Amino acid sequence: MSAPAPALAKARGPRVIVRLADAAVTVASLSLIFGLLLVLFPVSFPRIIVTSWQKGYLVVVMMVLTLVLDAFLYLRAAYLRSAKPTILVAACLGSLPIIVVGGLSFLMESAVAQTIAVDLPNMQARLNEEVLAHTYLGLVSAVFLPFLVIRLLQQFKATS
Amino acid sequence: MSIKWLLWIGLYVVMGVLVPWATALSWAHQHGSELRPRVRQLFKRGELGLVGLVVVISVIWNLLQSQFMQQTIALAAVLLAVIGTMAGDVWIESYSRQSTGTAWNSERTWRDSRNFTFLVFTMALVVEILLDRFAKVAAL
Repeated sequence: MSAPAPALAKARGPRVIVRLADAAVTVASLSLIFGLLLVLFPVSFPRIIVTSWQKGYLVVVMMVLTLVLDAFLYLRAAYLRSAKPTILVAACLGSLPIIVVGGLSFLMESAVAQTIAVDLPNMQARLNEEVLAHTYLGLVSAVFLPFLVIRLLQQFKATS
Repeated sequence: MSIKWLLWIGLYVVMGVLVPWATALSWAHQHGSELRPRVRQLFKRGELGLVGLVVVISVIWNLLQSQFMQQTIALAAVLLAVIGTMAGDVWIESYSRQSTGTAWNSERTWRDSRNFTFLVFTMALVVEILLDRFAKVAAL
């Protein structure tokens, strides 16, 4: 029996190894932009966020934004390492930002409900600041945490 | 808007990065050495991650003192702690690799610690701005 021809052997390209340090730069840039917008437009930028939360757009916008950023980061990593994106990682990256933003939106609603229940002076302004803080933390979490999960899974797979 | 948070973060940059670098230069000058380390060489084993970890601890402490709702404080503190730990972990990995003779890439260690420290500093900056805004609202 002859050996299989090299051309028939299935060529396996390198896997995309996600590096958290790459995602860290993008999240840091996102933070910097958020911070600059807060400093340059201290009234109008928070107002846009609060208005979109009141109209129910905020969570959807956050989901879309984080999905786009995560997809961009993953495809960039694949391009730089000349590797082929895997379906499993793509599925993880497609679902995790939505799960994170969705989960954290419940936390935000809980914080808002508690702020209203406590009935402290200047409640509306406190409420706006809570929404602003949760928007920022939600964005950072939804971009960074999926990469952290994938990195840990890849590490676990490599050692097992 | 108050710029106290800018001074606060500047203090960490000065005390955590510039002072050690200036001290190294001063030591070299005092001992007549030709050593002229750059920041990159001084922190090549990932020590910047440790500076990031110190910044994170300080921000978490400030968060705990704030009047934000407990959900907000918990989320921000956990997120900062995770990122701070990842930053510190760069130094741990570098130390472990060097100690055990495992393959170690100083270029990669420097890049990872620099990226994580950049993230820690920008996050700390935004959280301090949010804390400053909230303190003003709560004081009204």
